Amino acid sequence: MNNRQNDIACNVGQGPVTGKEAGLMICHYCHKVVSCHDYDEATICPRCCATVHTRKPGSITYTWALVLTSLILLFPANLLPIMQVDYLGSQEYSTIMDGIIYFFKEGSYGIGIVILTASVLVPVFKIAGIMLILLSIHFRWKTWLRHKTMMFRFIEFIGRWSMLDIFVIALLTVLVNFGFFSTISAASAATYFCGVVISTMLAAITFDTRLIWDTCIPPNREEE
Amino acid sequence: MNPKKIILCPECDLLLEMSSVEEGEKLLCPRCGAILGAPVKDSVEKVLALTSAGLLIYVPAIFLPLLTFDAAGIESSGSIADSFLALINTHFYFTGLMVFLTAILIPLVKLVMLFIVAASLYTGRSSRKTAVLFRLYHHLDEWGMLEVYMIGILVTIIKMLHMAHVNYDVGFYCFIGLLAATLGSAALMDKKLFWDEIDKQALAREQKEGILPCRRPEPNNGPPALSTQGRP
Ligand SMILES: [Zn+2]
Ligand SMILES: [Zn+2]
Repeated sequence: MNNRQNDIACNVGQGPVTGKEAGLMICHYCHKVVSCHDYDEATICPRCCATVHTRKPGSITYTWALVLTSLILLFPANLLPIMQVDYLGSQEYSTIMDGIIYFFKEGSYGIGIVILTASVLVPVFKIAGIMLILLSIHFRWKTWLRHKTMMFRFIEFIGRWSMLDIFVIALLTVLVNFGFFSTISAASAATYFCGVVISTMLAAITFDTRLIWDTCIPPNREEE
Repeated sequence: MNPKKIILCPECDLLLEMSSVEEGEKLLCPRCGAILGAPVKDSVEKVLALTSAGLLIYVPAIFLPLLTFDAAGIESSGSIADSFLALINTHFYFTGLMVFLTAILIPLVKLVMLFIVAASLYTGRSSRKTAVLFRLYHHLDEWGMLEVYMIGILVTIIKMLHMAHVNYDVGFYCFIGLLAATLGSAALMDKKLFWDEIDKQALAREQKEGILPCRRPEPNNGPPALSTQGRP
């Protein structure tokens, strides 16, 4: 398997293997290949007029900043109450974890697992995953490159699903409005939780996956 | 000029030769597994049909009531637009804004953009502006979260099932239609074909009308600045 991959990787010839070494760069939006100019790392894409960079500028710094922001916001998002239930005049606040525990006690395990995954596991996995990738770039760990790329793709894909709990609360606010008997509204953690979603999504956008692969000289070259 | 077209993998920067792909097949990067091409048959026509269907169904899907909860004779119902207004009314402005953008505004803007792009490709009138529009579509892509909202509706139903009687209203079925149109148009859009066609049509137009395409900044403020500053 590994041999086959290397074969395809070098089928272009003995010359440069990555676009950066070949003096080429790719437009991130329309995927047009344009040549780098030796004096400048950025140019305008002739096809879609976007600015093209060899690598996204300041990628590591922005991604670190956004990941750390979301890590800080994660605490109030999980510890403060996210929902307020008024039932017959008495007020009750519940955090994300309370909601999940409620479902497990009720016996609806399926829905409990869905919410647990979307609201707790996804944000934690995203933050941990991006930090792991950033650290591995910093220390130039040259292993598991393909798996790291796959993990990043997965992080990109799951990012938006954390909004689930916010949508549920927004819907409950409207639909559970039985006057004095029972009303539901959002509570302070909702704002922090939105902040976590936005900053982790932005962290995934500012990150450049090609940096993962820049840590290694392609294996076929090392053998020579 | 180039007998073999050189491409770069957008995710690992590997230099590759383009090879032909059949419809229904996927072209993967041998090193990192990124999808480099996945042709779809009659992509433009399909996207045009789905986005126009989505636009027709958008207003009822967002503004008509989704569900009615009936608890001990008291009924309450609401639409997606109401769920945004409820957050604003309870002074959760930031959360409300997020719901407004991800569930109401961006899905609409995405549909409109994709409709304009597909329509201009279909009629052969795309220009550089179409290319810019299509690029903005990619920017907004992941911020439209209709499918997450759909799961949110299902969770809400299950949550309330034993407390209230749940009635499904017109808005619910319209929303499923809107979701299907949005997901379908994104899945059936052949990105590579769209970009190639936009470029082809825009180039033809620019040549005919004598307009210059967007260019890189003039090189006069490029290399000299570095070398002259460095030397006395
Ligand atoms: Zn471009
Ligand atoms: Zn690749």
